[in-house]
Amino acid sequence: MPLLSAEELRTRLGRDLPGAVLEAAPLQIVPPAHGSKGPFVTTDVLVEPTRLLDAALYLRDQVGYTYLSDIAVVDYLTDNLLEVVYRFYHLDGGPSLALKVRLPRENPELASLTPHWPGANFHEREAYDLYGVVFTGHPFLRRIYMWDEFEGFPMRKDFPKQGDKYIGAEE
Amino acid sequence: MDIQRGNIIVMDRRRGTLRAGQGLLQGLKVVWDHWVGSFRKNDNFSQIHGTFTIEYPDERMKLPQAYRNMPVLLYDDETGQELCTACYQCARACPPEVIHITQAKDPNTGKMVPASLEFIIEYDACMSCGLCAEACPFDAIKMDHFYELSTDNRMGLMQRKADLNRPVSYYTSIAPDLWDEVKEGAMKKLQGSIKRRPDVIGIAGHLSEKIAARRRQLAAEAAASPPAPVAAAPAAPAGKLSPEEKAAKLAAMRAAKAGGAEPAAEAPAPAAELSPADAKAAKLAAIKAANAAKKAAESPAAEVPAAPLDEKAAKLAAIRAANAAKAAAEAPAAPLDEKAAKLAAIRAANAAKKKSE
Amino acid sequence: MLKTEELQINIGPQHPSTHGVFRMIVTVDGETITDLKPVFGYLHRNHEQIAEVNTYLQNMPYTDRLDYFNSMANNHAYALAVEKLVGIEVPERAEYLRVLMVELTRILNHAGALGFLINDMGAWQTQLAFGMREREKILDLFESASGARLMCNYFRFGGVARDLPPDFMPRLKDLLIAMPAFVDEMERLLRENEILLQRSENIGVLPKEVAISYSVTGPMLRASGVPYDIRRAEPYSIYDRFDFDVPVGAVGDVYDRILVRIEEMRQSKRIIEQVIAQLPDAQGGHINPKARQNVRPPAGDVYARVETPKGELGFYLVSDGSLKPYRYKVRAPSFINLTPLGDMCRGYKVADVVVILGSIDIVMGEVDR
Repeated sequence: MPLLSAEELRTRLGRDLPGAVLEAAPLQIVPPAHGSKGPFVTTDVLVEPTRLLDAALYLRDQVGYTYLSDIAVVDYLTDNLLEVVYRFYHLDGGPSLALKVRLPRENPELASLTPHWPGANFHEREAYDLYGVVFTGHPFLRRIYMWDEFEGFPMRKDFPKQGDKYIGAEE
Repeated sequence: MDIQRGNIIVMDRRRGTLRAGQGLLQGLKVVWDHWVGSFRKNDNFSQIHGTFTIEYPDERMKLPQAYRNMPVLLYDDETGQELCTACYQCARACPPEVIHITQAKDPNTGKMVPASLEFIIEYDACMSCGLCAEACPFDAIKMDHFYELSTDNRMGLMQRKADLNRPVSYYTSIAPDLWDEVKEGAMKKLQGSIKRRPDVIGIAGHLSEKIAARRRQLAAEAAASPPAPVAAAPAAPAGKLSPEEKAAKLAAMRAAKAGGAEPAAEAPAPAAELSPADAKAAKLAAIKAANAAKKAAESPAAEVPAAPLDEKAAKLAAIRAANAAKAAAEAPAAPLDEKAAKLAAIRAANAAKKKSE
Repeated sequence: MLKTEELQINIGPQHPSTHGVFRMIVTVDGETITDLKPVFGYLHRNHEQIAEVNTYLQNMPYTDRLDYFNSMANNHAYALAVEKLVGIEVPERAEYLRVLMVELTRILNHAGALGFLINDMGAWQTQLAFGMREREKILDLFESASGARLMCNYFRFGGVARDLPPDFMPRLKDLLIAMPAFVDEMERLLRENEILLQRSENIGVLPKEVAISYSVTGPMLRASGVPYDIRRAEPYSIYDRFDFDVPVGAVGDVYDRILVRIEEMRQSKRIIEQVIAQLPDAQGGHINPKARQNVRPPAGDVYARVETPKGELGFYLVSDGSLKPYRYKVRAPSFINLTPLGDMCRGYKVADVVVILGSIDIVMGEVDR
């Protein structure tokens, strides 16, 4: 069973793809006044956004983590960034390896994995629909859940939780 | 890839043991067997043939004790004390946030009392998850087994405390084992909160007047003073209805329904709610009231105003119907409820006054 | 070859064979499909955002509503995620009860899914009725244990909501007597049935490499010949204690998916038998008494996944140290298994679309979330 820890992946990526791995800055998810128990430091590999495709292909072709399981976006409002989490598995089993990418909340743009992993198609459309992350190179980047005319990205933390433009703010 | 404690088996797609058409016949044999078997009744899990269905409105499935449908509130049979202390745990646990509680206040001191003044559950938005019953530290809120909740009146699904109250004996009848597990602790905690409840606060609404009267009577007897005029009853809060009146109200509502008027937004209270002591009297009164109400409904002078939408009007109408019922009941001279008749007469007079206004 | 004009037709959103409110824009050239685009979102309720305003425990009943066929399996994935995040231990007996429920779920899901698939092929309700009857028996068991048939809400952090009622085990043992007969009978009805073979053999083929690149999971992936079962690949709970086989298909067509599902029901029955044998020795109650339900996990993120009957269900949770999850992401198997639908249908006839869709076994509550 190929067991590669995030630490090992970081050193291998640093060796073979210089400049792709970033040092993960701790995230202040909520202001300390709200009772947060300190900042959140990720142990996963943080990748430079422009090098994501390289890192993912390296993970697939060199390390053997061929199975792209999940793409999740998290909106860290206080840190003013979006984090995209790519989760890969090895088909021989074992735990996952995650690649994380941090993007600015304004005009987040990222290379699409869909040409290489067709399975990323709906994941990326969902991320675009709910968070507004634009994946360049995606063949059909349209809204997937919301209707096409919908404005705004409903899963972002600053999206109004109540009322909408059709019925006003009273509801 | 190899796996531990098992093999990877490649599915066998073999063809050839059967000649063309035999696979089809083989499948048809299965269907045939089922058809033949369907004439037999079967309630055994180890059999796969036979009819398993039951004819629903006539027969019903026996529900397991753990079955949960909608939450109800429990009160003690003997004392009428509600187990709920308005601690808000259920409201906090509720995922769709459909539980709304108001805590009772002592009218004299203004202090909070461990009892609920009003308890509302929106049945229409309840998701029957049972987390409220699990969260309740006093075992006051439990999941009911009653599932025939269909209605054409959506507002009727907003259940108030009067609709939610069920005696403990009802819960033991549907889930005896589950109650046995928690019985001791729940009753102990109830005794604790009874001590902190003044007057009739915390007593199930339809019993409170009766219990208050009984208490006054006992107090009077204890003081060895001449029995207080029983006219103490009218002093009770006007909003509270005695069981007799409640039954009358029910009958009035039924009469109103029969008369084509809109049914009031109130679920009928099951007869099981009444404590055994006054069940008989209530039944009697109910029958009388029903008869009277029927009579009233038949006559063109039915006092039920058309479509009493708001509750107050409905209540008023119910009281009027009750009065009419009692007036009718007076004719066969029932000495049993002389007091009630007197009261009814007063109320009827009042109603008449109001009407003339 | 004669070139004809292409035509776009809509299948759905309200079509009995689309398993919910699901729309497919099919481009056809004659009877042959040249393109297919799935359109969904009709059942979208922003489940993930609802979860962000709920506490961790309050989300448990909501996970029931993802894949409403397999609420127990959804509960399991979510409970695992939170337990991993907080660090809650689960007593042994509770683990066995969980595995028991989840494997029963697998049987009932496959019984239903095969019924719906055969229904899509035009066999009407025959197979569906047989499958549903077995499903109802299992639902009866669920009801007696959890209180509800579909929205079970049975799992808690650190265990399950309550222990089994006394009449559960005898009924379960009865059910296990019936189960082989039921599965064999289902196989007799389906396997080598000429009509079924016509409709399913070499239809909707998904080769191994394509299946992997499409991130397909569950029986779909295994039918394509990839022996990837999370219960084996990354054993969670106590699955490393049980003997069971992983069935894989040889071709990756609809017929293989049927065969794999039938075999998985047998393997689930094997696991349940082992659970019954080992349960009396299991230590601990049905729940860890030290586990608080109103959890407040430390800041961090976690991903936990289980093999539900439909595939890999994963929960990605980010906690900010408060009572409510900061981010709650569902990796839904039905949703991802739909991705290759267009490719699988290309080149086949219109009548094959519903069969291929049925073989994916989707539930719209999970696809749209």
